[in-house]
Amino acid sequence: MLMHVISMEHDVYKANDKVAEKNKKRLDKHQVFSVNVMGAIGSGKTTLIEEAIRQLKEKYKIAVIAGDVIAEMDSSRFRKLDVPTIPVNTGKECHLDAKLVEKALDEIDLNNTDLLLIENVGNLICPVDFKLGEHLRVVIVSVTEGDDIILKHPMIFKTADLAVINKVDIAHAVDVEAEKMRDDILSLNPKVPVILTSKHDWESLETWISFIELGIKEAQNR
Amino acid sequence: MHELSIACEIFEQVMATAKEHRATEVKHVTLQMGRLSHTNPEQLSFCFKAIAEESIAKDADFIVEMVPPSLECECGYKGTIDEKQIRESCQLKSELLAYVAAMECPICGKEANITGGRELIIKSIEIETENQD
Repeated sequence: MLMHVISMEHDVYKANDKVAEKNKKRLDKHQVFSVNVMGAIGSGKTTLIEEAIRQLKEKYKIAVIAGDVIAEMDSSRFRKLDVPTIPVNTGKECHLDAKLVEKALDEIDLNNTDLLLIENVGNLICPVDFKLGEHLRVVIVSVTEGDDIILKHPMIFKTADLAVINKVDIAHAVDVEAEKMRDDILSLNPKVPVILTSKHDWESLETWISFIELGIKEAQNR
Repeated sequence: MHELSIACEIFEQVMATAKEHRATEVKHVTLQMGRLSHTNPEQLSFCFKAIAEESIAKDADFIVEMVPPSLECECGYKGTIDEKQIRESCQLKSELLAYVAAMECPICGKEANITGGRELIIKSIEIETENQD
């Protein structure tokens, strides 16, 4: 019997990053702006995506990848808005990864897409380590999750390009200060833009939507 | 929990390398896990052992070495977060939070870029092979 030590140096996350990079190049080639929408269950990811679709679909061509353990439910909501939607069932998995998105991209007519909205599986932990090839990483939390939710999940806020605190209209009812949540996000990531939204406050939704539109315009000028 | 799918990926990579080197048994699997990665070493080890049950890696020691985050700042500073200091400061807070809070440049105080500490690397395996003449 002989013993050997074999060096491998294989980074499991880098293997995903490589596919994500490939996805991004593919999207760049078609000047598609892609958004990875992450957030907790019930934070309002689907609703905020719907609002963005409603306001932007006359001006831009939009496609959606809806990731969930059972993705059909959210997908049917997006399809009602007449946008091509690819459901991605993750089964027992708690996040989307670059390979799943790569496969979904095959089913999207990228020549006819300006904006790709990717709804990730609802949780604040697992999606953090898996890049998808997105241009914008958004994290959505709602006041109903409690105002300590931010500091319990530091990495997702640390690595986000945009943070949204949703359902601020009911903050008082759940005894939460949305401003404390904003301060916590900024303590972890001082440069990240933080938007406070409520689906009943049109002005707040406009800020969210204008952020996305800015990205689409930048992608088109690339 | 995504440890199961990560353990599957590790198992496949380990078995491919073991086969390539004609191993009869895998004795050790050594990983390097960044402290900022969202993977739990105990759960990962448990999943790996469950998957490897009927393979030549069934008795392998699953060793996870934790890697502290490293930083790079625009002022030129490059370095690793002091683990001892973190242990002292995180009595009340979570360890992960203490690491994230420590990501200021110790020289100029600005927000530094994370250059390490999020990885999950299969570093090496130790295998047994038949004597070959």
